Amino acid sequence: MPSAKPKGPSPFSHWFAIGKPLSPRSRTVLTIFSFIIPLALWSAVSYLPFLWHPDIKLTISAEREGITTIYTRGDHLSREFFPQFEAGVQAENQAVFEARESGEELTPGRRKNLKTLRHISAWGLGNGYLTPNEAKDDKLIYQLWARAAGGDFGTSPKLSPENIKVVKDNWIRIQHIGDKFSSRALPNEALLKLVPQGKRSNPVYLPAPHEVVIAGYYDLFTEQRDPDDPSMWQRALHSMKIVFGGFLLAALVGVPLAVLCGTYDFFSRIFEPFIDFFRYLPAPAFSTLLVAIFLAHDAPKIALVFVGTFFQLVLVVANTTREIDRSLIEASQTLGADQRNILFRVVVPGILPQLYNDLRILLGWAWTWLVIAELIGVKSGLTEFIETQGRWRNFDRVFPVIFLIGFIGFFTDQILSWLRVFLFKWTGETPNAFSRLVASSVSAGPRWFQREVLDQRLDPLAERRNRK
Amino acid sequence: MKFARFASRALSGLALLATLPFTQAEPLKIGYSDWPGWIAWEIGIKKGWFEDAGVEVDFQWMDYVASMDAYVAGQLDAVCMTNGDALAIGGTGKPSVGIVINDYSNGNDMLVAAPGIDSVSELKGKKIGVEEGFVAHLLALKALESAGLGADDVEWVNVPTNETPQVLATGAVDAIAAWQPNSGQALKTVSGSSPVFTSADAPGIIYDLLYVSSESLEGRRDDWQKVANVWYQIVEYINNENNIDEALEILSARVALSPEEYEPFFKGTKILPLRLAKKVWEDNDSLKSVYGSSRIVNDFNVDQGVYDEALNVESYLDPSFTKAVK
Repeated sequence: MPSAKPKGPSPFSHWFAIGKPLSPRSRTVLTIFSFIIPLALWSAVSYLPFLWHPDIKLTISAEREGITTIYTRGDHLSREFFPQFEAGVQAENQAVFEARESGEELTPGRRKNLKTLRHISAWGLGNGYLTPNEAKDDKLIYQLWARAAGGDFGTSPKLSPENIKVVKDNWIRIQHIGDKFSSRALPNEALLKLVPQGKRSNPVYLPAPHEVVIAGYYDLFTEQRDPDDPSMWQRALHSMKIVFGGFLLAALVGVPLAVLCGTYDFFSRIFEPFIDFFRYLPAPAFSTLLVAIFLAHDAPKIALVFVGTFFQLVLVVANTTREIDRSLIEASQTLGADQRNILFRVVVPGILPQLYNDLRILLGWAWTWLVIAELIGVKSGLTEFIETQGRWRNFDRVFPVIFLIGFIGFFTDQILSWLRVFLFKWTGETPNAFSRLVASSVSAGPRWFQREVLDQRLDPLAERRNRK
Repeated sequence: MKFARFASRALSGLALLATLPFTQAEPLKIGYSDWPGWIAWEIGIKKGWFEDAGVEVDFQWMDYVASMDAYVAGQLDAVCMTNGDALAIGGTGKPSVGIVINDYSNGNDMLVAAPGIDSVSELKGKKIGVEEGFVAHLLALKALESAGLGADDVEWVNVPTNETPQVLATGAVDAIAAWQPNSGQALKTVSGSSPVFTSADAPGIIYDLLYVSSESLEGRRDDWQKVANVWYQIVEYINNENNIDEALEILSARVALSPEEYEPFFKGTKILPLRLAKKVWEDNDSLKSVYGSSRIVNDFNVDQGVYDEALNVESYLDPSFTKAVK
């Protein structure tokens, strides 16, 4: 009888060992993958047209006579509707041809023709012949017609054969204008319209990664279109002011109250039952009330974050206070400490490390109120941008800002978690590898502070070492 | 009569104190929102014409209904409203006086129906999304009336006007009523949707005005006159074809559209030159008069139970500022 072959360890066994932690190296690999997998999925759906792509995204557009819905470069049309749009413009060009043949040309006027010429700016922008700031300059737009008529059809988008004919036909009628372009020199007779072109794409709410990166770059690092609008960094600061303002106020009032509740049953009984009830009242329900009390600017927003955080904070911190080691209190009582000493020299230092952790988690909690808070009264901060751009369906501009909120929250938390180890050395914890990585990559400043100030001045041993 | 003299002095002192806030000239706080006739104020703001005219203004950009709420709460001295909504919030919250007629709606207020619905009568038994109790609701009801339907023949869904495009796109409703740029956004978002009824089908039903609180109007008549003067400077500028590109650039930036997307709005919002505005101020019962239009909306509001008794329309309108424009 053939004996069963003893199974050797499979190559995957160490990845799936029950109840055993992975090696630090494997852990790092998996951490990296946890970010790569969603990114890879997003890229696949964006760049592999056969997976989805139900829309046509316009690269060249045109206006139609008598129709007030104007599609511009970057707008999405369903694949079913696009041919109808295309046919509408083709029919208008056809009418121009027929009128010419009959000997009586259509004369829509110079301004209509100027607008027709401007449609080529989409082609110029796509090919990088124009920057967005130059797209309104009619002289440059005229030069684009010269360029296309000269045989440069571009690459993204490339002019379709039909549009090449349009370009050549129009150029014959406008080439006499030359370098001193002025819209008054345009003919009154109808020019042809560029026929819409587009490429397959996903719905507008799922922009491709590179579109998000480009839009994010423009919004974060270049000047905004309206100089009166706040820059993205000013918006971020404004948002942080709301979150930290509301959180700090809640902590300022809440922590002392909570420590009292956790230490004395008297305070616990007189405050906690009501707070326990109140925390179930959803903070956004107070928004109109808060606007009526604090008017429309920052105050009601900070108040909303406060209402959303305060009650939770009191209960959590009070519980933490109750969990202090009883023997510490008993020992100090035996040693004759009075009430005040027990509170400030035993209870407070005893709960500090856990209190720090609680506040870290509650800060994250405060962030979740930000978006609702910024929508009440006069909209402000990052949320106002998300709201307006989302309303105009510029989701490529919305995603970078959503990520920005995520990054700010995530990095603050990681830095706080990394600082904890140094603030509370006696707990004997070491920072976890990931927060160390994050903190060391963004915190050259605090690191210097830690090395030069905290270690030197605050560590009593260091002082002794230095004296030697 | 020592006491009487003392009292009268104290009183006049108090009266002087009471007028102080007015003489100190705080900026006039004016709420404006995303209707093409009101976005036009932006030209005066961006070009610094208010400073030139010697009046301090603080224009606050808000959602339409939020701006009326802020006005009722006393945070604004004036707000841009339709004549119907001015009566509605006057009857329930805070009265006001219209001093400048910006425009009448000539197609930019629309009832936009989902693909497959081509007329108002097909909406029977369907769902319509509107911000209930406000101007778009009025338009939708007018549309139903024109097709021989009543308010009970459809199901109403209360939707903030700026959210209507998304709501129509989800298919949760069969039609929405909204004004530009929201209505245009809905047409663009839902390929194949169409306007089945617009304010061009009922011209004069919606006038758009600047409404000022009576307290502010009483204390600072001269300043409000300057605001009215600047408005007609703006109108003259817009109506000059040479300025159109620059005007479009300023106006479209306010609502994050491109100039070419904005241009068609001019057709659907008839911004009134001074000559025509003076005609609209003439008091008669037709829709060509702001008085006639307001009276019709007044009756409508009573019918709809917005308020119980008809209001005195005349007290909501003051043509003297337009007449005094230099």
